[in-house]
Amino acid sequence: MASQTESKIFVVIPAFNEERVIGDVINEIRNVGYRNIIVVDDGSSDETCRKAKEAGAISLKHKINRGKGAATKTGIEAAKLLGADIIVTMDGDGQHDPEDIQKLISPIVDKECDVVLGTRLLDPKGMPWHKIFANKIGNFFTWYLFGLWVTDSQSGFRAYSRHAAQVINTKADRYEYDSQVIREIYIYKLKFKEIPIAVRYTEYSMGKIQKQGIANGFKTLYKMVWSLLF
Amino acid sequence: MRFHIYQVVISVISAIMIYQGVTNYIKGKNNPTLLKLLARIAVWGSMALITIFPNISNVAAKIIGIEGNINAVILIGFIFVFLMMFKLLSAIERLEQDLSIVTRNDALKRINEEEK
Repeated sequence: MASQTESKIFVVIPAFNEERVIGDVINEIRNVGYRNIIVVDDGSSDETCRKAKEAGAISLKHKINRGKGAATKTGIEAAKLLGADIIVTMDGDGQHDPEDIQKLISPIVDKECDVVLGTRLLDPKGMPWHKIFANKIGNFFTWYLFGLWVTDSQSGFRAYSRHAAQVINTKADRYEYDSQVIREIYIYKLKFKEIPIAVRYTEYSMGKIQKQGIANGFKTLYKMVWSLLF
Repeated sequence: MRFHIYQVVISVISAIMIYQGVTNYIKGKNNPTLLKLLARIAVWGSMALITIFPNISNVAAKIIGIEGNINAVILIGFIFVFLMMFKLLSAIERLEQDLSIVTRNDALKRINEEEK
């Protein structure tokens, strides 16, 4: 539980058109003891922002859609302004289990590392094969382009110390954000740890069209290469 | 020297484009920069030059080391198009980042005000 520590822990959730599930996601997080929840509505056309506010989160809104990376960064900036010691990022579609937050923050609380990466691939039970395959490709390119091997470069379930949140400053706006963070960990020599997390792929989360597909995958790769060149 | 109709048309268009660029630069219209003006003069000027004096392309071919003046012109054209694409992509990327910053600042306005 969060009360085990004196650290101010903030959970940041980037969300785009998640009105159906965002309330439940927030309630689940609150039920495991985390009260500081920031939802960044990334220009949704539905009631995500209002539902998040009603569920008790600090609800911020991007007036236009800027991508998962941009929304995550806005949430991290907000958490920093509000004095966060540890910042946890997780997806807004309910695929991450809030019970895992404790596992993620423990190494930071114990000062073992600056960043903890939740990884689905250390125990990929229930994960569709095409997702595993796509993630492995993502891992390969992240390693090849950015120089650091991790087992799940595309996971959005991560925890950062305040120091890491201040150091990491990627300009990536969309799905390439997750890989860019790996690059920054490598560049700034931040200590990191990978922790297995549970994934809950539901019909809802798998059905969302804006999730990483093949086309988005290529776009992400292009953005990763572009960021290296210029 | 006998002029063909296409030479006249392209020369007139080039002259208009260069004139427009110079007047925009002098009047300060559409965020003019010296680089933009020079690029415009280089593109339209070389198009007019090659049209009026086709033999110039032979000189270009010799300099580049490619056999055939048409190939040299096409190669230069490709290089220029790639440069333009690169410039456009860089500008788009910069605008995207600026847009994200503005959107972020707007979203954080409330928190910033509360913190003051």
